[in-house]
Amino acid sequence: VDIPAMRANFAKAAATGDEAPLYFYSHLFLSHPETRQLFPVSMAHQRDRLFAALGDVVARVDDLEALVPILQQLGRDHRKFGTVSAHYPAVGASLLATLEHFDDEWTPELAKDWTEAYTLVAEVMVEAAEQATEQPAWWEADVLAHERRTIDVAVLQVRPRKRYEYLPGQSVSLESDLRPRLWRYYSPANAPRPDGLLEIHVKARDGGPVSSALVRRVGVGDVLRLGPPVGHLALEADSDRDLLLVAGGMGLAPLKALIHQVAGTGPARRVDLFVGFRTEDQIYDRADLQRLEQEHPWLTVTFAVSEDKVSALEHGDVGDVVLRRGPWTSRQVFVAGPAVMVEDTVSRLVQDGVPRQRISSEVFAPSRPGPTVEGELTE
Amino acid sequence: MTTEHDVSEPEDRGLSPADLHNVRFTRGSMLRPGYVDTEVDRVLSRVAEELGRLYAEKAALRDQVRSLQAQVDGVVIPEAPSEQAVRILSSAQQTADNYVAEAEEFSRQVTSEARSEYEELTRQARENAGAIIQAAQEAAAKVSGGAAGVDPAGQHSVEELQEQVAYLKAFGQATRTQLRSYLEALLNTVETEWGRADPAALPPAPPRPPAQRSGTTFEANTAAESPPDDAEELPAAAGSRSST
Repeated sequence: VDIPAMRANFAKAAATGDEAPLYFYSHLFLSHPETRQLFPVSMAHQRDRLFAALGDVVARVDDLEALVPILQQLGRDHRKFGTVSAHYPAVGASLLATLEHFDDEWTPELAKDWTEAYTLVAEVMVEAAEQATEQPAWWEADVLAHERRTIDVAVLQVRPRKRYEYLPGQSVSLESDLRPRLWRYYSPANAPRPDGLLEIHVKARDGGPVSSALVRRVGVGDVLRLGPPVGHLALEADSDRDLLLVAGGMGLAPLKALIHQVAGTGPARRVDLFVGFRTEDQIYDRADLQRLEQEHPWLTVTFAVSEDKVSALEHGDVGDVVLRRGPWTSRQVFVAGPAVMVEDTVSRLVQDGVPRQRISSEVFAPSRPGPTVEGELTE
Repeated sequence: MTTEHDVSEPEDRGLSPADLHNVRFTRGSMLRPGYVDTEVDRVLSRVAEELGRLYAEKAALRDQVRSLQAQVDGVVIPEAPSEQAVRILSSAQQTADNYVAEAEEFSRQVTSEARSEYEELTRQARENAGAIIQAAQEAAAKVSGGAAGVDPAGQHSVEELQEQVAYLKAFGQATRTQLRSYLEALLNTVETEWGRADPAALPPAPPRPPAQRSGTTFEANTAAESPPDDAEELPAAAGSRSST
């Protein structure tokens, strides 16, 4: 197998930008029309993702140890999109046609090498997908409650029809029939409950197709689909260290789940939660947080507002407010929110003497703040 | 002759083995022993008819299997789409992508305009409310100040009470912060001494003065009432206005 030749060939297709993926998908849909329904109406972002993923694979094609776990994850991830093993040869044929189309020096050897490589890739992905079949590819969940808390935030209670296992702090990908084939990640704001209910906090992003549909159009009785849980925010199993939780805006959801976990399964520990918003009326979950604070003597909730002159709450960026109440050197710290807030808070805490390895953080960014036809993710 | 249903009558649902098992012919008379032959003939012809139908069906199925087998053996490869078809679909897809992107961009603009209008209106309303409340308080202070003039042995003025409340709040806050700092430091010592945590991971906590809050931050707290519920209606109205 001539890997340098394959890489040179792939580079030619990749250099065309949007052309090659456009050709690939048109070829695929014309030769296998049944695959069209697996994709959203607008393919702009899909095209970008395809060649990014292929590029990852080609870059690691001589490092199987790194490549195989990536492919297995890809294979499992694709189950929720409705991908079945019969689709893999179809994709392979169109991929080969694309690579040939954009290379003037295409050779039978290249065709043979690519076919072999693709067959291997497909085998690994199909195998991983088949090993995951003890759990469903996706879960249907009924919307039991939908509450508009502010102008652009809704809190949904959804119940999966089949048992759905996840860890507090993890994220769940969601799809609605209103925006078919568009999956977005949200964090349940509660630990798993005996009745299976998930509390989902959604903020409608301006122009965001999924989030605005979830806030403004989804209602009680609608059905959502959930993908398998992912994510890394989690309490250490064998630690009972006191917690400092810092949330900016919608980053509150996973941290609230951690509070539920401490309340439900322990071990007992002090928990300080700081929640930052721009203005006081944006604090969409205030009543419930205050109720939690009253129920649990170990919990302290502090609200901070950064752009609200008349509010009686703590003023300033939430990172500032946290430091004012310090020191926090003995705490396990979790930070979740917009990128700027997370960076700012983490670096301040580190400066203040909190060991870096005791801080976990997750950025909650809109998946596509400004959609472009070029498929650029401006995250 | 008795059966579950009349075997001799041709029926849509065909003839089952159970039907034949259940056939009971009428016995003949002394002169003509055996079964009544008309009944036997009728059933025989029905069975022959059914057998013929089954043979025909079997032949049709055999043909179908052959043609399917031929398709599988020949591996009918779907014809590769022509370059022209790929180009046409590509440009159609791009047109669709453009429309979706434009729609999303339009929705983004309209929502963000509506939101800033909403925020501005809410802010103005809250400022107005704050000003009105402050004016009312000043008026009340004047009235009670006048009353205090009438009854000098009476209560503290509103300002005095407010000052005291602010002072006590600040004092409570400072005490809480100091107590917490002390407890954190104590915890730190315990951890370091007992080696519960990785010692290298614990830099000594810098000594920190307790956070102080000025007593004046509470002046404006009466204006921090939540906006009335109907403030939610504003953006909806703004949205419908701009969309029509």
